[in-house]
Amino acid sequence: MRVEFVRDVEAAIGSAGVITEPEQLRTYECDGLTGHRVVPGLVTLPASTDEVQALVRLCARDGVPFVARGAGTGLSGGALPVAEGIVISLARMDRILEVDLESARVTAEPGVTNLAITEAVASHGFFYAPDPSSQQVCTIGGNVAENSGGAHCLKHGFTVNHVLEAEIVLPDGELVRLRAGDPGPDVLGAFVGSEGTLGIATEIVVRVLRRPETVRTLLAGFDSTDRAGAAVSGVIAAGILPAAIEMMDRLTIEAAEAAVHPGYPDVAAVLIVELDGLTEQVEHDLAAVEALCLEAGAAEIRVAADDAERALLWLGRRSAFAAMGRVSHDYYVQDGVVPRTRLPEVLRRIAELEREHGLRVGNVFHAGDGNLHPLVLYDAREEGQAERAQTLAVAILDACMDAGGSLTGEHGIGVDKACAMPSMFGPEDLEAMARLRRGFDPAGLANPGKVLPTPRLCGEVPGPYRAHPLEKAGLAERL
Amino acid sequence: MPSVFEAEPLAIAQAAEMLGQASREGRRVSIERAGGELVVSTRYLNRLLEHEAGDLTVTVEAGIRLSALNERLAEHGQMLALDPPGDPTVGAAIAGDLFGPRAYRYGRVRDLVLGVTVVLADGTIANAGGKVVKNVAGYDLAKLFCGSHGRLGLIARASLRLHPRPEASRTLVVPVSTPDDVRTLVSTLIHSPLAPSAVDLVWSEEQSVLATLLEGRTATTSDQLERARALLGGQEDDDVWNEVAASQLGSRSRGAFPAGELAAALAELPEALIRIGPTCFAYLPQPYEQPWSALAERVRAQFDPAGTLA
Repeated sequence: MRVEFVRDVEAAIGSAGVITEPEQLRTYECDGLTGHRVVPGLVTLPASTDEVQALVRLCARDGVPFVARGAGTGLSGGALPVAEGIVISLARMDRILEVDLESARVTAEPGVTNLAITEAVASHGFFYAPDPSSQQVCTIGGNVAENSGGAHCLKHGFTVNHVLEAEIVLPDGELVRLRAGDPGPDVLGAFVGSEGTLGIATEIVVRVLRRPETVRTLLAGFDSTDRAGAAVSGVIAAGILPAAIEMMDRLTIEAAEAAVHPGYPDVAAVLIVELDGLTEQVEHDLAAVEALCLEAGAAEIRVAADDAERALLWLGRRSAFAAMGRVSHDYYVQDGVVPRTRLPEVLRRIAELEREHGLRVGNVFHAGDGNLHPLVLYDAREEGQAERAQTLAVAILDACMDAGGSLTGEHGIGVDKACAMPSMFGPEDLEAMARLRRGFDPAGLANPGKVLPTPRLCGEVPGPYRAHPLEKAGLAERL
Repeated sequence: MPSVFEAEPLAIAQAAEMLGQASREGRRVSIERAGGELVVSTRYLNRLLEHEAGDLTVTVEAGIRLSALNERLAEHGQMLALDPPGDPTVGAAIAGDLFGPRAYRYGRVRDLVLGVTVVLADGTIANAGGKVVKNVAGYDLAKLFCGSHGRLGLIARASLRLHPRPEASRTLVVPVSTPDDVRTLVSTLIHSPLAPSAVDLVWSEEQSVLATLLEGRTATTSDQLERARALLGGQEDDDVWNEVAASQLGSRSRGAFPAGELAAALAELPEALIRIGPTCFAYLPQPYEQPWSALAERVRAQFDPAGTLA
């Protein structure tokens, strides 16, 4: 970092908000994707929109790239620093600015945690719906960057469906406010999920929902994932929209049992189905879901009798990732999406891949929306296993793409999958996305190297292109 | 005055050729409306390409009308939960950000569109999003094109999220007279556990009413109606939706404001259709200039640098 730049940064936000010590800088070298590490040139901790704006203006003036960071829980390296750039941590901007229950809205600074929004309105009977599993620590700013989902987004939607307004510092330092009702193109909708590459949200308005009158949770055990998958299809075909449908396979059930003892049955697959809404409707749907699970061959069904029992059913699911640490030295969490109806065949393909690569894969996923989280188990101490795990994880994504799915359902592209983007999108598709980015950030300073593949990151040769799912559904008509 | 050509492409590739050629020749193009030297209609780009009932998704060419699409989906007990009046095409609904009363429950078109194929002004065909309900790969250009009014490109194809068709629909209509009446009723409703599909306010100097649509299973919807009536008063009346549709179709502009500003907004408005929600939308009889933001114009300039699209 140039001395003048650092001096101007310190003048803009005060030296207490600037980290220059190499040891401290290292704290910011990665996010939840720990395999990628870059020590940033400088870390800044602005306390206000004005300070963020001042920092971004300095970056724009001197052509210094910047990377915004929330809690650093992202799983695709979206907050990976740039060596010659600065990190703008929003950790100090953690105030809830307004709770407006008449409009069912909460206005928050980006560093507010996801859960804190629900806590701010819970006593009034409201909640903030998107619930990523890191919700106790992850921030609303990070949720906006990643368009975070969660187990309950099947019914209630993703972050983008809940953000009503955002105040944004654009990469040239200009401050704008985007609203869901603005005339013209849905710029706010495009901003949410842009992984910090279009600017920094400094104030976010979300809608909160009335807590449902009744919540019922059911666990069903099956002797195969195919049967569990058939039950999921049956529920959807019956016109029931549960708040969540989660599936775990034998390996993840065993790991969860070992770690937190949720008392799951000894079966090949469990489904957790949660229904919420008006009491009469929920009880009606619950009976229907039970019947459909039995029809699909459920070996065992349990319905949580109270909140404590529900918490126990969820405990195993929520701790599934961490529990893998008990059965494997290392694991890689993949995130892919397939159309729900293709789940059984993709699961069989994953089982084949396990055998081919000689590694185990645990499957825990949001079955209702086809979002898979295969956990590839390996031991980094064994020569070549890490590479094999990586190859296997990529092969799983290929299987998702072949089934007409997506590279990522909620973890994002970041640096992790930027080079895989050409397997889902053609050059024209990527160029169209680049146009959006240039409209926001012509100088390319906001989180460079993320989302879109670059020659520097991926080499000149793009990966194999497959017909985009939309293209496949229509005609082969790429010009 | 240059002559006006009308084009009705039969395939997306043909639409792309037409736009590419027009932009090379420096001719202005307008999509589904007058204004350009070339007027492109998607009338024949109207096929249903893929409906996977088990996935609750559909992929269509953008010229298909909502009524035609929903007729096909109804065979499977499903629907595209988008109900703007006037039976627009899917493409027009996306480009115009058109939505109807059920947006209260299901969201606007931006919340239902999963992916698009667009033809840019220079003839480039580009895909964004996908056909699965959950997907965060790349920028969500499908959302960007919502409300783009044909100025970013031609929407040629779209994948959309579907919902189960409810078994029963019942409507409660409550007469209201003052902005404070409305405020109290809306607040009561928002703080109740009821889950309406739509809440619209027909606001006029003569007789204003708040219409609440309740949907679900037949038995539970009757219960909901009774609970809503106990809470809000009023009578059942399904005909109100005709009035709502006429009012929306006849409107000349649309504004948006937070629900907390509802009473203040009503005090200023002699006549409007208000779609209630955390963000309220007001359909007004008088026209208003609604320029795009400078940022939206910057994005537009990237998609159509030559200014081909009128």
